[in-house]
Amino acid sequence: MELSTSEPTTARFDALYRETASELFAYVMALLRDRAAAEDVTAAAFERAYRRQAGFDPERGTQRAWLFGIARNAALDELRRRKRTAALLSDPEDPDASAAAHGPHDDDGEAAIRRAAVRAGLERLDPRERELIALKFHAGLSNAEIADVLGISVANAGTRVHRAVTRLRKACHAPS
Amino acid sequence: MRRRDALPDPEVVHGLRELEAALAGEPTADPDLALLVADVAAARPEPGATFLASLDARVHAGFPRAEETPKHGAPRAPWHVRLRRPPALVGGFAVLLVAVVVAIGIGSAHREQPPSQSLGGSEVSSSSSSNGAGSSAEKAAPSAPGPSTTLSATTTQPQRKVERAAALTLTPAPDDVQDTADGVVRETQAAGGYVQHSDVATRDGGGDASFTLRIPSARLDDTLARLSKLAHVGALSQSASDITAQTASAADQLSDARAERQALLRALGRATTARQIASLKARLRDNRSEIAQRKGTLDAQRRRADLATVAVTVEGTGAPAKGEDGGGAWTPRDALHDAGRVLEVAGGVALIALAVLAPPAILAALALLAGRTVRRHRRETALDRSG
Repeated sequence: MELSTSEPTTARFDALYRETASELFAYVMALLRDRAAAEDVTAAAFERAYRRQAGFDPERGTQRAWLFGIARNAALDELRRRKRTAALLSDPEDPDASAAAHGPHDDDGEAAIRRAAVRAGLERLDPRERELIALKFHAGLSNAEIADVLGISVANAGTRVHRAVTRLRKACHAPS
Repeated sequence: MRRRDALPDPEVVHGLRELEAALAGEPTADPDLALLVADVAAARPEPGATFLASLDARVHAGFPRAEETPKHGAPRAPWHVRLRRPPALVGGFAVLLVAVVVAIGIGSAHREQPPSQSLGGSEVSSSSSSNGAGSSAEKAAPSAPGPSTTLSATTTQPQRKVERAAALTLTPAPDDVQDTADGVVRETQAAGGYVQHSDVATRDGGGDASFTLRIPSARLDDTLARLSKLAHVGALSQSASDITAQTASAADQLSDARAERQALLRALGRATTARQIASLKARLRDNRSEIAQRKGTLDAQRRRADLATVAVTVEGTGAPAKGEDGGGAWTPRDALHDAGRVLEVAGGVALIALAVLAPPAILAALALLAGRTVRRHRRETALDRSG
């Protein structure tokens, strides 16, 4: 059963939205690396989830994992749609603006350097590792939830997360 | 749905434990990892205030349809979801299926039951033929089967002569053979006919009988209907032959013979010699016998048309007697039987429908599965290429 649009937003969906809006955007952004596209896909993912609330099965995972799975499919469909034009259409983050946005209080020079290294390290990761970092660090999903989102086993998800974190740590210390 | 695989490496387990501690902000966490967590968190892209405000509004409005298509397009619902939306489609299909089941059930019931009685498992046939050269016997001869069908050759066109015959097999319960045989005789007499031949043999646990009846043709249909009510009808066949030409021929020959007699009598009156008189008397004798023979032939032809021959066979095969089966009023037992029959037909239809629909359904399921696999593969490929 699907809720009609004339019905008020359910409290549960409202709570899910408030809890995950920023995290979902960060995850989609990590996949697409295009702010405008990430906003559209994030909105589309929430809309899909809203219309498919009745289809959510708690026995198959958490609501967060379900929502991130929807967002992942929407983002990958967007990547497919863009294909090679993605690079031309992408609107990469302005490092200076991003630094200003993310770290206006980076009064510590060492911290600023360290965070710049982290951003550079994230850029060096391959898309799948970057996705895992986003799911783990930005979205705060458990390994079981990551496994649900990616359609893999929990152990495999843990192994991949560990490998991605190891790669990120090395990438952060690698010379730029 | 989570998948199972081998336990992770102990080093991985340890690393994950440290990571979880760092993510949880525990004081015992690895300081480097804690710093990394903080730095990655600081690098997290945040949605713009304008976007969040817009999304807030849409969420609170319940994503109105008019705004369903954003710049990059809200994904259109997949075909299988769209297919599920119009309940009228499903309802229409269900109504169509029910109509087919009912139509087949009714059609099947009509095939097996004549209008006036139940002939479950019986054979009913009819045939007609014409012996008259150049006659229009086909028009006069009946062609429709069934005891209640009016074979109107002898009634609507009395100038035509049609010989009718029928063969009826009754299959009462073994103990009812004698009663059925008595009923056959009773109904024959009631119809104004007679039993030309009968052979009844009863024994423990069964019996059989055979009759040759002569029934007035005009009452044949009614009599067959009454005979059919005596027991379960195993088979019924009827035939009709146009004998108008033979009858007319016999009548003409008789007329000729009578005309010849008149001529001979006139000649006898004019005869003057004894020899002529003797000769004419001899010819009159021959003519008399010829008239008798022709008259006999004509009477036989008329009897063939007036009296139908009905061969009745009674076989005690154990089929339920009509009396027990409720051949009269529609009883709860009949209802139970009919309900069983409807279920039987419905089951048959469902089985056929399953046989018809199963292959395309399996193909559709395989196509759906393949489509999902391909789509998933393409998505993963798109992610790999996005780097």
